[in-house]
Amino acid sequence: MNLAWLAAGIAVGFGMLGPGIGVGLATAKSSEAIGRNPDAAATIRTNLIIGAALAEGLGILSFVLGILLWTKA
Amino acid sequence: MRRLLIGLIALDVIVIALGNVLGGPTRWPDIEVPVIGSLFASLSGEPLVHIAGEAAQPTGGIGISNEISISNSLFTMWLVMGFLIGISFVATRNLRLLPGRLQNVVELVVQGLSDFVQSTGGPQALRYFPLFGTLFLFILMSNWLSVVPFVSQIPLLHAPTADYHTNFALALVGWFAYQSEGVRRLGGKYFSKFFNFSGFKEGAFIGGIFVFVGLIELFSELFRMLTLTLRLWGNVLGGEIMLGVMAAVLWYVAAPLALPFVGLEVFIGLIQALIFSLLVLMYFILAIESHEEEHDVALAHADQSHAEMTREVATV
Repeated sequence: MNLAWLAAGIAVGFGMLGPGIGVGLATAKSSEAIGRNPDAAATIRTNLIIGAALAEGLGILSFVLGILLWTKA
Repeated sequence: MRRLLIGLIALDVIVIALGNVLGGPTRWPDIEVPVIGSLFASLSGEPLVHIAGEAAQPTGGIGISNEISISNSLFTMWLVMGFLIGISFVATRNLRLLPGRLQNVVELVVQGLSDFVQSTGGPQALRYFPLFGTLFLFILMSNWLSVVPFVSQIPLLHAPTADYHTNFALALVGWFAYQSEGVRRLGGKYFSKFFNFSGFKEGAFIGGIFVFVGLIELFSELFRMLTLTLRLWGNVLGGEIMLGVMAAVLWYVAAPLALPFVGLEVFIGLIQALIFSLLVLMYFILAIESHEEEHDVALAHADQSHAEMTREVATV
């Protein structure tokens, strides 16, 4: 049992918290916007996907950090 | 639906019976990190043909070595390139006015991508459509290849985008392309975004803030390379690891239940290919816009939409 694995788990877990909240907020707001203005659904969806991917990218950084800790342990 | 469920359960029972017959009695598979690590998650490709330099550390991880070799991800990349080049060659060999089946499909894809670019960045963004489309198709094919059985599991095949070298090369191409496009369009004014001393006219404090903001811009520009690389790599590699873990966990329980994760991975591959190419396109659009010409551009846009409206009215 290696402490670095614990560190990797903690890093990934806490790192995914923020992006999770962010993606949830973005999805909620975009659903609201589509409900208000269904004609603009295509544009809103594109923006949502970009924003969600940008937020998720930060979480992926923590995932990569976890991978590094995992393999270098 | 019921038939599908019954089929899945029957498949499950058969798999469990086969596992018991062939691989000893049923037990909960103990997931050992090194085993899964060596099976599914070789972080970068492994060299097949060694050309020069010293070999990288066998332990893996992100690192830089002076090794030059033909790795298995490079080999798989050649397969993807051969597939795409072959399709485009065969589809455009004898173009007809009434398209055949293959030409129809290719036209549909290209037209859809071109419409998407136009709806994102306007007609001026069509200049960057070739790079956008190439990146999209290449990354899409590579991502979907990571779901195919045996890819990333036997030594000869490794999904290209699950190797961070490929992603970094793609990100470098996009980064230098949009930087040089920005310089070409705006000249020296392009760098005024990063080193902005115009604020000193209104006092030292405002000037300092402008310089600071410029530095932040510069760093975010550099970080774009890193995030483009790691977003794609992390998603594809994470998907592969997830599929491996799901297959290991569900092997004796319900192997067919791992199928939805394959579907999820196909979807994520599509989204990530779109994200990568769309972000490069966005960076292009951001790089060529200047703050002084904003007024003129808005005016030109208004003129254009006015002209379109008149044309529509005329056709009606």
